Amino acid sequence: MTARSVLRVALVIFVVLMVQQTMMVALRIGGVHPDLLWLLPITAALADGPETGGIIGFWAGLSFDLVLPTPFGLSALVGCLLGYAVGALTTAVDPRTTWLKPVAALTGSVAADMLFAVLGAILGQPQMVQIDFVALFLMISISSLVFVLPVSRLMRWALAGENSRHSLVSAQADGRLW
Amino acid sequence: MARSRRSRRTLTVIVLVVVSLSLISLDLNGRTHSLTSGIKSVANDIYSPLRQGVVDIISPIGNFFAGAFNYGAVQSENQQLQREIGQLKATQAEKSFDENQLRLLTKLENLPFLKSLPTVTAQTVDQYTSNFTSTITLDKGRADGVAVGYPVVGAGGLVGQVIQSFHHTCVVRLITDGQSKIGVVFGPSNKYTAIVDGQGPGNDLTADLVPPGTPLRKGQHMFTSGLQAAAFPPGIPVATVSTFHTPSGASQISITVEPSANLSQLAYVDVVQWVPNT
Repeated sequence: MTARSVLRVALVIFVVLMVQQTMMVALRIGGVHPDLLWLLPITAALADGPETGGIIGFWAGLSFDLVLPTPFGLSALVGCLLGYAVGALTTAVDPRTTWLKPVAALTGSVAADMLFAVLGAILGQPQMVQIDFVALFLMISISSLVFVLPVSRLMRWALAGENSRHSLVSAQADGRLW
Repeated sequence: MARSRRSRRTLTVIVLVVVSLSLISLDLNGRTHSLTSGIKSVANDIYSPLRQGVVDIISPIGNFFAGAFNYGAVQSENQQLQREIGQLKATQAEKSFDENQLRLLTKLENLPFLKSLPTVTAQTVDQYTSNFTSTITLDKGRADGVAVGYPVVGAGGLVGQVIQSFHHTCVVRLITDGQSKIGVVFGPSNKYTAIVDGQGPGNDLTADLVPPGTPLRKGQHMFTSGLQAAAFPPGIPVATVSTFHTPSGASQISITVEPSANLSQLAYVDVVQWVPNT
């Protein structure tokens, strides 16, 4: 990853963190709010493969861990695993496939939240599984579908020039909605 | 070539997973927790002003839309508040007598009255930052005399306890959080005890360890017990009984309680500068 990409990715993580902590937390319905964190490793993995997904997931998670009351390092762990898993599982899929981003965002975010809660409970935070998971998954699913496009755009901008995964696709020609 | 690239990817991710697990271990270990807490403290000192700047920029826009969409609701809420102010004024005179009585009783019982304890008034700057915890963030921290473990009270009763204190902000775990457990007393002469347990955001609290046959009534108040090594000073209203029943063969009454404090109105709270007696 080039120094320019690192700076851009750091800026994207910061912007998403600020949007999450100022606007998304205010959008509480049924006691839950959207969570943009998981979209960072998902979109990074879709754009540049499992290694980049894992690395960006780790750093994005660590940034969120600094301001969240949950155990320090837990978001980094889940973000890293999520990024790697999404990248590895979608390697064989043509990145131009229209359903790839929404499906990856929806399933990845829900799986990450589930893993986050279960790991938190195992690590001595039993309250993390005492929440309304139906409301949470509904909110996370809808918000992931709505926000995957802008986050994906930001991530592609940040990783411009790192498109090892998208080498099959012309960056300029990629004007599709998803 | 492809195999070596795959190995490198796997190695990178394994290293990051090990680093994450090490950080979690450091955070959860009592002896090394101060290290991660220090990192979080520095990060929060940088992050809080930035976050506040963003909020200052976007809040007028948000308020404009909220005001436009909720004009009717705001108007009716205003009328309701005016009515409540009128009712409160009428009962204020009666309450002063009760307060004097309570002060005398508290003195007799040798219990520290909350009003005699120093407090720091704080404003809530953030609520429920995570979907998995019930916490609020206040605009007061170590520099303002707020330390970890201090109780936090709001209108009506106990709100929670400070779990993280940074330079100018602190994080408060609400009593509804699943990790919250509060020793309480209730009943005549406060002779019955129970543990009020948080059940997670949006769920009712429960009162546990109350044996069958204990006299209970709906609306009964429960107060912090202040027993030896208790995390809270005695006498703070915690919750009121909303439902109770004894399942056949059960060793305790199943009780649900509602917080005494209005947890939906936490714009300002008081942090009580009280250290538990050990």
